[in-house]
Amino acid sequence: MTNTGMFFRMLFSAVFRRRSRAMMAVVASLVGAATLFCLAMICIAVPQQMNEEMRAYGANLIVTPTSSTASADKAGIDEAMVEHTTEMVAAKGSEKHATYRYENVRVNAAPYVMAGVDAKQVKNLNHHWVVDGSWPSDGKVLIGRDIADAIGLKVGSRITIGYRASDNASSSSSTSAEDANTDSTGASSSQSQSQQSSGQPTQDGRVSSDIMDTSGTEFRVAGIVDTGGSEDSIIYATASDVNKLTGVTRGVDVIEYSAGASDLDALVQSINDMTSMHVKAQQVTKITASDTRIITMLQTLFWIVSLVVLVLTLVGVGTTISSIVSQRRNEIGLRKALGASSSAIGIEFYVESAMYGLIGGLLGTAIGYGLAQWLCVAVFERSIGFNWWLGVASVLLAALVAVVASIPPVHRATRIDPAVVLREE
Amino acid sequence: MDMLLELDHISKIYGDLHAVDDLSLTVPAGQWLAIVGSSGSGKTTLMNMIGCMDTPSKGSVKLEGRKLEDLNASQLADVRKNLIGLVFQKFYLVPHLTAVENVMVAQYYHSVVDEKQALEALDRVGLKDRAHHLPSQLSGGEQQRVCIARALINDPKLILADEPTGNLDEKNEKIVLDLFRQLHEQGTTIIVVTHDALVASCAEREIMLNHGVLVGEKWNDEAARKAYEAAGGRPASTGAQVEGAQTGETAIGFSDPTKAAKTGGTEDAE
Repeated sequence: MTNTGMFFRMLFSAVFRRRSRAMMAVVASLVGAATLFCLAMICIAVPQQMNEEMRAYGANLIVTPTSSTASADKAGIDEAMVEHTTEMVAAKGSEKHATYRYENVRVNAAPYVMAGVDAKQVKNLNHHWVVDGSWPSDGKVLIGRDIADAIGLKVGSRITIGYRASDNASSSSSTSAEDANTDSTGASSSQSQSQQSSGQPTQDGRVSSDIMDTSGTEFRVAGIVDTGGSEDSIIYATASDVNKLTGVTRGVDVIEYSAGASDLDALVQSINDMTSMHVKAQQVTKITASDTRIITMLQTLFWIVSLVVLVLTLVGVGTTISSIVSQRRNEIGLRKALGASSSAIGIEFYVESAMYGLIGGLLGTAIGYGLAQWLCVAVFERSIGFNWWLGVASVLLAALVAVVASIPPVHRATRIDPAVVLREE
Repeated sequence: MDMLLELDHISKIYGDLHAVDDLSLTVPAGQWLAIVGSSGSGKTTLMNMIGCMDTPSKGSVKLEGRKLEDLNASQLADVRKNLIGLVFQKFYLVPHLTAVENVMVAQYYHSVVDEKQALEALDRVGLKDRAHHLPSQLSGGEQQRVCIARALINDPKLILADEPTGNLDEKNEKIVLDLFRQLHEQGTTIIVVTHDALVASCAEREIMLNHGVLVGEKWNDEAARKAYEAAGGRPASTGAQVEGAQTGETAIGFSDPTKAAKTGGTEDAE
């Protein structure tokens, strides 16, 4: 047997033949590692989960045509540009999007805003919409709660929607209204803007000309949407129904994105820098700001708790190692009497401490992962994958903490006078 | 005759207490010396100074011609592991290591670990079949024999034993003394601190301390005394001016200690 072999034989004997003592040190490391790993896993999982949750509350980025395009011709953003813009957003992270084409229409001669949408896209983007009935399909519309209450419509009712080209003649201010829309979705501003843009004489906010004209296309009410916001004053139909109703096929007025990009400012800047695209991107600040604030607060809280746990672990492991060392004063004195140098004794104890830390770290990391998994399933209803880098870091940190915590007691131990210890005075 | 150990007017002083008072002593290689005295007489303090585990307040200790006061802690540790084998009254075995591992610990700090040699050392003290037992599985006598095997493993020139039979029954005491006898016959220098008359009488030479002062010296082996004197060896002496102190060139004889050693190891915590 070599001296290295003897070193490890002594080490393993100290750890495995003194199980009750070793168990104390291992448990101290285990508790620390489990708590820290669990917190770290949640620190990583929570922002991801929060981000996804926040994404369900609508768009955090809207894209509209630039003023020059709109003034020249209300062509909107064509399909190719929608695709191109979406590619740019998708390149920076996950994305969900929905497109909206807004038209001014009449119901019982009163003006309302109608949006041509892809129901699947809108549903996917706005999980918070409460829809009584079903989403729009061909021949069926989804109407806002305010409209339903005003007209007295229910799910299954019939509604006649008329389109007047003259109501939509002036659209030069369309995109300028979008410009101001930095803290809400595109829908609300489009609606208010559209209601003021008919370019015809109005009375009490309503078009006064051909007021009794109630002709139009009949639709069935598929559902009633209730969001508590501007969406409650809009009629949603499929894009093809809007095309048929208006007799004009054109691009969309707004693209709403729920973008998972980490740096939304940079994404907005990159889209706006591409002037040839003739679109303008803006953040929906109420979504992004609250998202960021909540995540930052949660992360700060977790890091503070982690720091407290780290300090408690250091104290716990330090006290345990200190107790172990003091119980072995005679052994240390004997080893010195047999010719061991202070450094040799120091190395033996530091390696032993590291071993307690490694064992505790391995077990603690496994338990911490189990806890984190359980918490995520219980709270977020989703499982989390094991982060191997974090796992390795957790085990190494546990070993490092055990070694650092053992420095003061081991330093004291290496200064033990063998004569004093062996005399037992 | 080469002197393995030379003490030159050494004292150990704690405040007003002279634990060892101005002692001069020479011990040639191969001699078996017993240091006797009652509890608190300074025996263990003297042994610690000889064993490089303590330093004298005054005077000089020479081991194999090297002055210990000139050495630093690391060099003293080297002397300890190379020249000295220690046997303790309370054995001091590492509790979580087996008998053979306890012997190998001494090899580990000395030079190179050799399990076969460690087993041979245990065989020499009659414990080969108990080599893989933990100290808690061994009797007191067996533990002391492991301690002796550990002291012998590096072939030390000097065995220092502090009350080696203090915790042993008669049977195990005899086994241990037989081992010392064998070592002595092989030429190993042995210094035994004891207040057991039987153990002391096994030594060639005895010196007696009382409150740190040398108060007597006697030889149990006349041939050894003659050889010692013929080689220029002189009686131990003290410079302490205390009544009854052995201050001159003439040894003052003394009776064997009357106190029995079988006290359960509780009375000699010096």
